[in-house]
Amino acid sequence: MADPQSLPWDPEVVERIAALSLRARRTVSGLRLGVHASARVSANVEFADYKEYSQGDLIRDLDWRVAARSDRLVVRRHRAEEELGCLIVLDASADLLTGGGAAWPRAARGRPPLDGNKWGYAVVLAACLAWAMVRRGEPVGLLMLGGEGVPWPYLPLRGGDAHLSRIFAVLAATRPAGRASLGAELRTLGARVRPRTLVALISDLMEEPAEWGPSMRALGHRHVDLRALHVYDEAEWAFRVEGPARYRSPEGGAALPADPADVAPAIGAVVAGYLAEVRGHVHAAQGRHLLAPSSGDMAALLARVLRGAE
Amino acid sequence: MTPALLAPAALGLLVLLAGPLVAHLARRRPTDDRPYGAMLLLLRLAELQRRRQRVQDLPLLILRLIALLCVVLAVTGPELRYPGDARSAASGGPVVFLLDNSLSMDLRAGGVGDETLFSAARAALEQRILALPEGTPAAVVSFGGAAAPLGPGLTSDHGALIAALGGVRQGYGGTDLVGGLRVGRRLLEGRGGTLVVLTDEAGPVAVDAARGELDLLARQEVGLEPVLFESSTPGNLSIAEAEYGDGLEGGTVRLLLVNHGAAAAEVPLVVSLPGGTEITTFVEVPAGGTAEERVTVPRSNEGGVGIARLSDPLLPADDTFAFHLPRVGASRVLVVDGDPGMTAAASEVYFLERALAPWGPSGAARGGVLPEITTPSGIAALDPDVHRVVFMANVSDPAPLLGALAPFVQAGGGLVISLGSNVRAEDYNAGLAGLLPARLTAPVALGGDDRGAPTALPDTSLPLFKPFSRGCRSSFGAARWRRAFGVELDGAGATVLLSTEAGAPLLIERKVGRGRVLLFTSTLDLDWGDLCLQAAFMPLVQRLVGQLGGESGGAGDRLVARVGEPLSIPVGASAEEVSVTGPQGMVAAQRAGEGLRFTPDRPGAYAVELPGAPPLAWVAVNTDPVESDLRRGPGLLAVAAEVAPEAFLVRLELWGPLLWLALAALLGQAALSAWMSRRPTQSEDSDALAA
Repeated sequence: MADPQSLPWDPEVVERIAALSLRARRTVSGLRLGVHASARVSANVEFADYKEYSQGDLIRDLDWRVAARSDRLVVRRHRAEEELGCLIVLDASADLLTGGGAAWPRAARGRPPLDGNKWGYAVVLAACLAWAMVRRGEPVGLLMLGGEGVPWPYLPLRGGDAHLSRIFAVLAATRPAGRASLGAELRTLGARVRPRTLVALISDLMEEPAEWGPSMRALGHRHVDLRALHVYDEAEWAFRVEGPARYRSPEGGAALPADPADVAPAIGAVVAGYLAEVRGHVHAAQGRHLLAPSSGDMAALLARVLRGAE
Repeated sequence: MTPALLAPAALGLLVLLAGPLVAHLARRRPTDDRPYGAMLLLLRLAELQRRRQRVQDLPLLILRLIALLCVVLAVTGPELRYPGDARSAASGGPVVFLLDNSLSMDLRAGGVGDETLFSAARAALEQRILALPEGTPAAVVSFGGAAAPLGPGLTSDHGALIAALGGVRQGYGGTDLVGGLRVGRRLLEGRGGTLVVLTDEAGPVAVDAARGELDLLARQEVGLEPVLFESSTPGNLSIAEAEYGDGLEGGTVRLLLVNHGAAAAEVPLVVSLPGGTEITTFVEVPAGGTAEERVTVPRSNEGGVGIARLSDPLLPADDTFAFHLPRVGASRVLVVDGDPGMTAAASEVYFLERALAPWGPSGAARGGVLPEITTPSGIAALDPDVHRVVFMANVSDPAPLLGALAPFVQAGGGLVISLGSNVRAEDYNAGLAGLLPARLTAPVALGGDDRGAPTALPDTSLPLFKPFSRGCRSSFGAARWRRAFGVELDGAGATVLLSTEAGAPLLIERKVGRGRVLLFTSTLDLDWGDLCLQAAFMPLVQRLVGQLGGESGGAGDRLVARVGEPLSIPVGASAEEVSVTGPQGMVAAQRAGEGLRFTPDRPGAYAVELPGAPPLAWVAVNTDPVESDLRRGPGLLAVAAEVAPEAFLVRLELWGPLLWLALAALLGQAALSAWMSRRPTQSEDSDALAA
C-alpha cells in the first residue's frame, strides 16, 4: 500500500485526480440527476397516516390542528427512511491493463491512460458513479480488488466532497496488478453492506464464473442491489490480434500459442457461452448485468446504471 | 545401406525427405509472447477444440488400429477352418443324390399350407439333375424308412431319373441315413464321385450314427455335399404314448403329448376306440414340453387297436398313435344246462360257471365273461347281437335248439358242445346235422383201469393252446378220462385239438359259416373225467370263449411295431387264408414257414385275420418318435469333419486378405485425414458479441 501522505506530492497522481474530476463532472453534468428522488433524509419526510395518541408517543408528533378542531389527540406518522448509498467495487486485476491494442504490462512502472483501454474506462466509470452519487447526496464507498499502489483498499460509505476526493485519489493512484479473487472478495463483501445498498461491481469478470458465481448468489440473498458492469475490449473478445503468438494472461499462468486465423472464427461461440454463464450467475443474485465496452458511450451506460436498467 | 541407394535416382528421391521437414518448420510453434486480457476465453476455446479434435481423431485411430491389427494377425499366419468338402472341386465324376423322404420331411417349409420340405427337396433335386452335364452318371437313393435306390445303378439318362423321382413318396419311416450313404457309396463302386444329400438333418441321432459310413466315404475319396432343408416355422406336436389302464367307467387311456415347437399350443385330440366310438378333447401343450391327458373308456367296448389323433397342420404325418385296447365289459355267454345235477360235483354248469366267471358276477361286469345259465327251453333268449358263445352242456335233445343255434353260428357265433350221460349219439347226429364237427358213435370206456386215460399234451402251436406254451401245459397231462363218445371224422374241416394219449379225440373243432363249433366228446364235470379239477381248466375255458369271439380283439396276439419294421407273426401252418389288413386296406404279406411277414408302411391298426374268425393278431403300428423331434442335431458336414478332417475340413489361409485389409485401412485413414484437414472450420455464432 502506498503511503497516503505521499499522494499529494506525486505529480502523476495529482494530474490523474484532476483529470478524473474533470471527466466525472463533465460526464455527469449531462445527466438529469432528478430522475430518481433523493434518498437523503431531510425535514420534508413523507407523511404516512394518523394514529390515536398513546402513552409513549412523542409530544412533538401530535397534530395540534386536528386536536383543536376535533378535540382528539392524534399523532402523525411518517414513513421511515434510511440512507441506502452505493458501494463501488472495482476490479484492479492485471487483466485490466490490456485492451485498445496497447501492451501496457510492458510499461511496468507507468499507469495506463484514461482513454482506450479497459482500466482507464473502469476508473473513469467509477469516478463518474461516485460523483453522481455524491451530487445526489447519497453516501458512496469504494472497494478495490487487487491492484498495487492502492492507498486505501476500502473506503466505507460516506458523503461529502472530501470523501469524494479521497475516492478520486485512490482511483488515480492505483495500478492494476495481480488477481482480483472475485469469489473470495464477494464472499466477504456481504458483511460490509446493508440490505438495499447499491453495489456496482466494475470488472472484466475474467475468472471462472463457477468460482465467483456462488459468492455472488450469496450476496444477492442479502437483498443487495447488484449492478455488474462488465468491462471488456471488443478487439480482445473478437481476437483481432496480429499474427500467431504465444498469448499469456498478465495475471500469470501458462502461455498458449494461438493463430488468429484459427481462433477468430471460433471464439464467438465461446464468448456467447461465457456471457450466458455470467448472466446466469448475475441474475441468480437478483442483479443486473450491463456490458461496458471500453470504447462505448459512458454517459449512456451511467444513465442505465442509475436507472437500474439492463 | 546398400550401394543402390547411392545411385543418382536414389539421391534424388532423398530430396523428397525435405518436404516433411519444410512443412514441419513452416508449422512450428510461435515463440513471441503477448499479453492477452481474455485468456479465459482462449483457454475455453482451446478446450473446446481439443474435445472436437478428440472426436474427429477417433475414426483415424480406429482405422490405424485396424491396419496394425491386420498386419499383426497376418504375421501369425491365421487359418480359417470350417466343415466342407475339401476335395469337391476336384472330385467331379458320378453323382448320387440321397433324398430324405423320412417322416420329418413332411414338415411344412414355410408354415401351415406351404409345401413340405420333401416337396421342396424333390423339386430342388430335379433342378440339380437337370443341371448335370450331359453324360454324367447319376443315381437317386431315397432313405426314408429303409434306404433304396430308384434304379439298378448309375445312369446317364437324366430324364429317366427324373421320371423315377416322381414315384418317390413322402414316407412315415425314420431316417436311414446310414443305409442311404452305404447304398450311395456302393453305387459309386469306388470310382470317386459325389454324394449329394438332400435332408433336414432332423433328430439327435441320425447324423451321429453315420460316422462309420462317413469315414468310408473319406477313404474312398467320395465327395459329400449336404443340401439342407429347414422350415421357417419349426414346430411339431406329436403323441408320444397312449396306454390303456385302470380308471373310472371302463378304464382310461393315458396319452402323452409332446410339443417340439417354441410356442404353446391347444389342439383337438380325438381318440377312436374299436367299434367306432370317438372321444374328443382339447389339450394344451406348453412350448417345448409335454402334456398328459386321460380319456375315459365306456363301460363296454370292443377290444382291438384304438387310434389317438391330434390336429397338427405343420407335420400331420405323426399325428396318430395306435394303442391296444382289451375288450371292455363282459362277454355274454349263454350256458344251456342239460344236466342240472343234484350236487355241485354232479353239475357241469357248476364248474363251467366258475371257470367262465371266476370273479363272480361283479367281476364279470368289469371284464371277462358274464355267463347266463338257462335250460334248453330258454334258447329263445339267444341274441346274436348280445351273446358271443353258447355252451351246450349234456343236453339230451338238441333238435329244438338247432333253429336258434344254426343262424347264430353261421353269423359268427361260437358253440361249445359237451356231452354226457343224457346224450344219445343218434339224436345229436340227427338234430345237430350241419353243426357237429364229427358224427358221434356210442360212448366207450377209456383207459384200462378206474383212473382212465391220460390226456395227451396239447400242441401249443395251435392258437387255442398257444398261451399254455408259457406254462400250465403239463396240467393237461394230469387230466384223465374214463369215458367218451366215439367220433367219426369225415375230414370236412374238422380238426382234433385235444385227445388222449391213446389218440381218442377229446376236443374237435369245425368252422361253420363265419362261426366255429367245438365238440367235447366227454363231460365237463366229474362224471367221465376230471379235467374240471385241473389247473388248466379255467384258462382253457376262458381261451375257448376268446377264440370263439367272446372276447373280440382280446384273443389274438397283441404286438407293437414301428413303421418300416419288418414283422413276422406266427399263424400256424394250417392257416392258408390268413391276411393282413391295415389302415389303407389289405397289406402285402408273405408266408415264411408258419409265420407271416409284412412291413407296415404307415401308422395305424393292423389285423392278421383268418376269414370268418377273430383276428389272430393285432398290431399297433406307430411312427418313430425320433422323427417327431425336429431339433437339429450335429450337421452332416460337421460330423464328417470330426471323423475325417483331412477330407471334410476346409482350411483357408487368411494372411493375404488380412494384408489387403490393412492396406485398405491405411488408404482409408489417409483419405479421411486429408478430407478432415480440408474441411472448413465451423463458424458458429459469429454475432455472439453483438448479441
